[in-house]
Amino acid sequence: MAARPRPTSDEAREALRDAMARLAAGDHAALEEIYRMTRVKLFGITLRILGDRKEAEDALQDVYVNLWQRADRYDPARASPISWLATFARNRAIDRLRTGKVRGGAVGIEEAAPLPDEAPLADALLVDAEQREQIHKCIATLDERTRTHIRAAFFDGHTYAELAERADVPLGTMKSWIRRGLQRLRACLEASEKP
Amino acid sequence: MSAPEDTMPAADPPRDDPTLAAEWALGLLEGEELLAARGKYATDPDFAWRKEWWDNWFAPWTDQMAGGAEPGDHVWQGIAARIGAPAAGEAPGAPAAEVVELKARLRRWQWAAGLTSVAAAAALALFLFSPLGSPVAPPTQVAAAEPMVATVPIGETGLRLDVTYIPASDRMLIAAIGLTPDGVHDHELWLVPDDGSAAKSLGVVAPGTVRSMAVPAEIVAELHAGSRLVLTREPLGGKPADADAGPVVAEGAFTTV
Repeated sequence: MAARPRPTSDEAREALRDAMARLAAGDHAALEEIYRMTRVKLFGITLRILGDRKEAEDALQDVYVNLWQRADRYDPARASPISWLATFARNRAIDRLRTGKVRGGAVGIEEAAPLPDEAPLADALLVDAEQREQIHKCIATLDERTRTHIRAAFFDGHTYAELAERADVPLGTMKSWIRRGLQRLRACLEASEKP
Repeated sequence: MSAPEDTMPAADPPRDDPTLAAEWALGLLEGEELLAARGKYATDPDFAWRKEWWDNWFAPWTDQMAGGAEPGDHVWQGIAARIGAPAAGEAPGAPAAEVVELKARLRRWQWAAGLTSVAAAAALALFLFSPLGSPVAPPTQVAAAEPMVATVPIGETGLRLDVTYIPASDRMLIAAIGLTPDGVHDHELWLVPDDGSAAKSLGVVAPGTVRSMAVPAEIVAELHAGSRLVLTREPLGGKPADADAGPVVAEGAFTTV
């Protein structure tokens, strides 16, 4: 374990928020801080989606270069910095996956390099706990089959066509399962937002 | 009864916009559907709001994706190089000074234009093989050839065309790295003349590639910083001679770098 005290989730989030604000103001150094704080988490995402270390590193590089170029795109009123960055990284990885050059899918444990002591900072950078609990509660109301396919789309970057093939059902069937599930999920999430 | 009830293609629930936004947020869409969602995102604020709403709700799942892996040191070095920040351990070799200068300029353009590394590498190659950009040419001549770049973003997706015009060789590079063919449509790139005359076709875009093309003199004559480009969706093979151009799905403008 690291000898230095681990920052709490709140401290880590505050540090990231601060660095994002400085980045938007054009501070070079802020990007390196953001990189140090978030690289492990974001790399976990690009690696999971792309299933290839080299591709995942290229995607990661694109994420931070893009972040530097368009730091103004982040709207603090809409999402927490880590939630936004994680989404951004996943979307970039999916874009890359859709170019068709990459295999995609889950990654073997042998791909994982050992982490240096400072890295577990990423652990502290979890997306909002309340939000996590709510999406978990709502997804749990769906039948198991729908839940499994929706999660497979999110975690492994599968398209409708791939999900249908894996489940050996017609494309239209997979679409209606998932669409019904998404409509129920939306109703549940919206209900949770009502004061 | 040959099929279990739940695999019958039962009456589909209609796909409303919030559902389309969710499908896109999950990454389920590809081809034409994906393009349509991106187009909607760029033009429909309600749809854009809903896409981000889903992104935000799905974001906690990314906590479970952490594999505990550390990216290599070269990742940060690459980022630092691309944004022009000093990177530890960045020791240049000793190629010809002109090539170093070209690479440095390329990196600046790449940074300014958000060019993909593939597009930048292709631009560098084009420079090296063009008469004026050759490493043996006097550097002053290289400096005289000011290239122009245009990025044509596809919605807010991060996908885009990178178009680079290199006057030294009268060639244009069209990089469509993130785009995928949907098998039903092609996309055609057009230069929009300032005088309001008909747009001039730069040809059908080849998805997933960097294509280098010679630029006809009539198009060179129209090219300057600020020249507008539009991308239209067409049947396979591009706009038929006897039909109007299809809908504009993206646009951009040239800037000198």
